[in-house]
Amino acid sequence: MKRVVVTGLGIVSSLAPNREGTWSAMLAGKDGLGPLSRLALPLEPAQIAGQVGLSAARHQTLCEVMALVALAEALEGYRPNSDPGRLAVFQGAGTSGLPTAEAFLEERLAGRRGRAAEPAYQSPCTVTDALAHHLGATGPRSTVMNACSSSLLALGQAWERLAAGELDLAVAGGAENLCRTTYAGFSCLKAVDAKKCRPFSRDRAGLNLGEGAVQVVLETLDAARARGATIYAEVLGYGASMDAHHPTAPHPEGEGAARAMAMALHAGRLDPSDVDLVSAHGTATPANDGAECLAIRRALGPAADAVSVTSTKSQFGHTLGAAGAFGAAAAILALRDQVVSPTLRLEDADPLCDLDCTPKEAKQRRVRAALVNAFAFGGNNTSLLLRRWEGA
Amino acid sequence: MSTSATDLVITGLGLVLPCGDGIEAARISLASGQPCFATLPETLGQGRGAACTAFNPAGIIPPMQLRRLDRPSRFAWVAAHQAFQDAGLNPRTMGERIAVAVGTLTGGSEASEAFMRPYFQRGPEGASPLVFPNCVANAASGHLALAFGLKGPSATFVDRENAAFAALEQASRWLRLGLADVALVIGTDGLFPLLLDVCRGARLLDRSGDPEIGSGRGFLPGEGAQAFLLESRAHAEARSVTPRATLGALGVRSAADTSEGARTRALLDATATLGDVQPDARIGGANGLCRLDAMESALAAAHPGWPKATHPKRLWGEFGGSGGQLLAAALLAPAERIVVTAPASSGAQFAALLEGVRLERS
Repeated sequence: MKRVVVTGLGIVSSLAPNREGTWSAMLAGKDGLGPLSRLALPLEPAQIAGQVGLSAARHQTLCEVMALVALAEALEGYRPNSDPGRLAVFQGAGTSGLPTAEAFLEERLAGRRGRAAEPAYQSPCTVTDALAHHLGATGPRSTVMNACSSSLLALGQAWERLAAGELDLAVAGGAENLCRTTYAGFSCLKAVDAKKCRPFSRDRAGLNLGEGAVQVVLETLDAARARGATIYAEVLGYGASMDAHHPTAPHPEGEGAARAMAMALHAGRLDPSDVDLVSAHGTATPANDGAECLAIRRALGPAADAVSVTSTKSQFGHTLGAAGAFGAAAAILALRDQVVSPTLRLEDADPLCDLDCTPKEAKQRRVRAALVNAFAFGGNNTSLLLRRWEGA
Repeated sequence: MSTSATDLVITGLGLVLPCGDGIEAARISLASGQPCFATLPETLGQGRGAACTAFNPAGIIPPMQLRRLDRPSRFAWVAAHQAFQDAGLNPRTMGERIAVAVGTLTGGSEASEAFMRPYFQRGPEGASPLVFPNCVANAASGHLALAFGLKGPSATFVDRENAAFAALEQASRWLRLGLADVALVIGTDGLFPLLLDVCRGARLLDRSGDPEIGSGRGFLPGEGAQAFLLESRAHAEARSVTPRATLGALGVRSAADTSEGARTRALLDATATLGDVQPDARIGGANGLCRLDAMESALAAAHPGWPKATHPKRLWGEFGGSGGQLLAAALLAPAERIVVTAPASSGAQFAALLEGVRLERS
């Protein structure tokens, strides 16, 4: 197996349209949640969102725009010159393309013909194709739609193909835009908080929705060293499982989530005591956070008492298909800088969430390895294992 | 567990197609060469297409569950049920070791239309919490997990016309990595009115009502699900199950840009990864639309010694996302080596080599 490292990271978030701006704001305890203005939904109780400062272009969806900006930052000017067939793109998507479909349906309901955009334009794989064309990649390319765990699984896909020696470089991540379907959907499920979300809190009342993009450049260690690339972290493996419990609710004891974390540890040959950080799914829904903390305890055993847990949902809202990549970004930068970003607005922790959930302020600490969690409708669980790069 | 590509075998097959449910209906349909197109029921859309009008989930999906499922999930459930039976496998005995990989285009879309239509008409009170969970593309995999107790890895792919091949590729990888012992690979798509509207508006549909490969007139849509149970040969032998076929090789290459030439080159390259093979049968993914037919035509020109391809989409329609009907067709007649090509209108291009295709199982 080849060793796989992260050599690039690009972020477009509601805090800043770049990596370092986003990270410094996270560490400073700022959030990117504000009044919803991208969509006009006056009848919805929740009027909060994590919105980016970019817009769709004439021939590009907002997801494509955000993804390409994030890719440009992640590549840091590097133009891969290896065999294009050994360059690959793996993307996770949630709602990408839905705004186009919504607009078409609305037109039809209004009795108009509607702008029947090519179905391709409504398909999330247009983002994947746009990234691949920018990269000049002709290797494997795939678009996963596992709802909220999509982009983390995409990172896992990239890892397994690089580790197998099939690729030199892969771009993996996700891009997500706000749309009416998800606003209406989570709202009717009573899963949206009208106030800013409070992961792990006793009084948590649901999620906020957000948008943004994260793109990660992964390479084999050999390829990264050969070009003298900056290495942010090492990817050790991933785990994936299904709950087989409920279409939308997680297993109450986190059985499937714990198995995903255990699989990731097994793939990376690490002991639970090697893990210092869990970048949690942490949606702030009543069902998720308690079950996730139970799952962390189940997977890490007594070592759970020593880990820091954090939720990026408190900064960006739930970016759905891109959420796993956002969680991975927070872990990668924590491993780089040895500091854990905070879980904002965590004043009164739920007794079920009896872990160090990094309340309100960033925490300087040793971070040797990190697990990243992303869970989804359909009982899909994914966990990614990262390790600090120490030049070994 | 380290397993080479040739060690993976297909031991179970389940089919829900416009020609009917089950392998025998598909075999008769393919042999007859008769297209399944007809005027669609109004509930599925306006115009002609290949709908699964004979679909019968009775005795397989409990009525209470049936109400909650979108069309692709219903098809996938019945196809998976058939595949497990065909493979002689009780999934509940080994759920944690069974992975699910799904390819679809329309998974989640039918439900999205059903969810948003009343929302647009009546506001938030029109939004149904029962419908929204099906708006995600991976709804089918979640329903399959619940129905059969599947707890291994899962992924749903939405790569254009060949997403089932992306699913097959991922499933193969999970088996080789030892993350699962058995993988359920599904292609599933369902018709719904907005899909027909979009395709018609984008001038993709054949207006003559009878798509013809090479005509450039367009395609007609179809629907259905195909389930393939994949496992290592060693695992199948340990269960004393005779494979339906061996997955000899699976190739994938992507186009450098959006041009037809680049996509054709990618399909040729994907096919080249199968090795210097002389198949005794060919299944292709042409559908009557220039962009896919031209790719298949170029492939035929590059391999003049290969047998003429059968194009199942001419009979069963373009499913949009799955492409699983191509793999299914390859398993319906005995062959020593059969090449299946799955061109797509963008993104990744796939080719597969199936070996030792058998109909008799004992």
